[in-house]
Amino acid sequence: MKYIPFFGCMMTTKYPQFEAAVRKSVSHVGMELVDVEGFTCCPDPIYFQARDKIEWYTIAARNISLAEDLGHDIITTCSGCTATLSEVNLVLKEDESLRKEVNDRLKEIGREFKGSINVRHAITVLRDDIGVDKVAQSVKYPLNDLKVAVHYGCHLLKPSRVMRVDDPDRPQILDALIKATGAVPVHHDLTLLCCGKACMDDSIPDRMVMDILDTIQEKGVECMGLICPTCFDSFDVKQLILERKYNKSYSIPIIYYFQLLGLAQGYKPQEVGLHLHKIKPDPILKGLELVA
Amino acid sequence: MSPTKNDPAIEKFDIQFSFREKLNSVAEGFRHNYCYQCGACVADCPANNYDEHFNPRLIMLKAILGFEEELLGADSEIWNCTNCYTCSERCPQDVRPIDVIIALKNLSVLQGNAPPIVGNIYNSVLQTGTTTKSSSLVDRRRKELGLSPLGSYPIDEIQKILKVD
Repeated sequence: MKYIPFFGCMMTTKYPQFEAAVRKSVSHVGMELVDVEGFTCCPDPIYFQARDKIEWYTIAARNISLAEDLGHDIITTCSGCTATLSEVNLVLKEDESLRKEVNDRLKEIGREFKGSINVRHAITVLRDDIGVDKVAQSVKYPLNDLKVAVHYGCHLLKPSRVMRVDDPDRPQILDALIKATGAVPVHHDLTLLCCGKACMDDSIPDRMVMDILDTIQEKGVECMGLICPTCFDSFDVKQLILERKYNKSYSIPIIYYFQLLGLAQGYKPQEVGLHLHKIKPDPILKGLELVA
Repeated sequence: MSPTKNDPAIEKFDIQFSFREKLNSVAEGFRHNYCYQCGACVADCPANNYDEHFNPRLIMLKAILGFEEELLGADSEIWNCTNCYTCSERCPQDVRPIDVIIALKNLSVLQGNAPPIVGNIYNSVLQTGTTTKSSSLVDRRRKELGLSPLGSYPIDEIQKILKVD
């Protein structure tokens, strides 16, 4: 099946290893990615939306309209892009007067939002179109009971009125897909806590992230698995900052879901860019006999 | 933290019902009118759990009563919202407090009181089409990972559909 990938800003520049992991791993489960020229920032659901909501709708609608020309659904791989494109796509489909206001602007560049496709996070496509069983069948080197703390992040699941992916209070989707790689998804009291990245006052996200890291450290997990580059920022790079700032010692590797899947399909750690992470996952790779 | 007669924030303001009209004029701002102050949005709000000064119910109350300066001023608590959307899940009145908070942010921007990052992100999209910068290091990493080089961004189209001052 054909899908139009929307990788956004962070995954194409700051974390290209995630884009590489998606492209490589989904090719083994029958997903064909059709690239579209001319996408811009989704735009950013926090600060751009805070600046001017109508302009936020407009830039997002322009991006969606490019995919509509080809007639395939957009798959998103960043929770921020998911938040923006899913909400704008749904709201503009539902609200005729807003759609007209946005289309009047898009007319300036000869584009129109039609409302003819859907926007879905890539893991939703794995579950619903491909099937967890088929994902499991693509695994050649099961991740031998690797204990992975699940981190859902906010924008895959909420607002559920828009996302319609899973129960936001009892999600299963990422658990099922982690199990498909042979790893063991581990839940804890703060599995669904936000990473706090959007807060202006640093002390709020600092304490949120430390509480999550403290909790999963006590659980004895080997790494954290997630699906959002912003959450990754909060737990990987920031883990080093927090260790220094608050005299902590964590060293918990943070791994994007499609990197886990890629490893299980037989890609080398370097091929999915694990060597680019601040917290090196070498101990778990040794455990999986993936490092010389 | 419920407002009481002893709360100085409550005592020093006159109620400004006209603020409702202003909030109604921005996208999704009208939703604050649906709030009946049940407080369902508070218990699972992570920003509230980590900083009691951030309270979505009180933000809705201040909107209803017209505490414009406090909500839209440079130090407003609205900028500590995590944008997690849990309040939208809990609200029985479809207020969607997060969407009202975003509407308040839009008004704060108009008054020039938003944190610098808001303008920085906006200008970056306006001028480059993206929020992150490319570099020779990015190009090299993409190549090593087997990815094609990044294309150019249609900045002219972006500038045409945004209000260029």
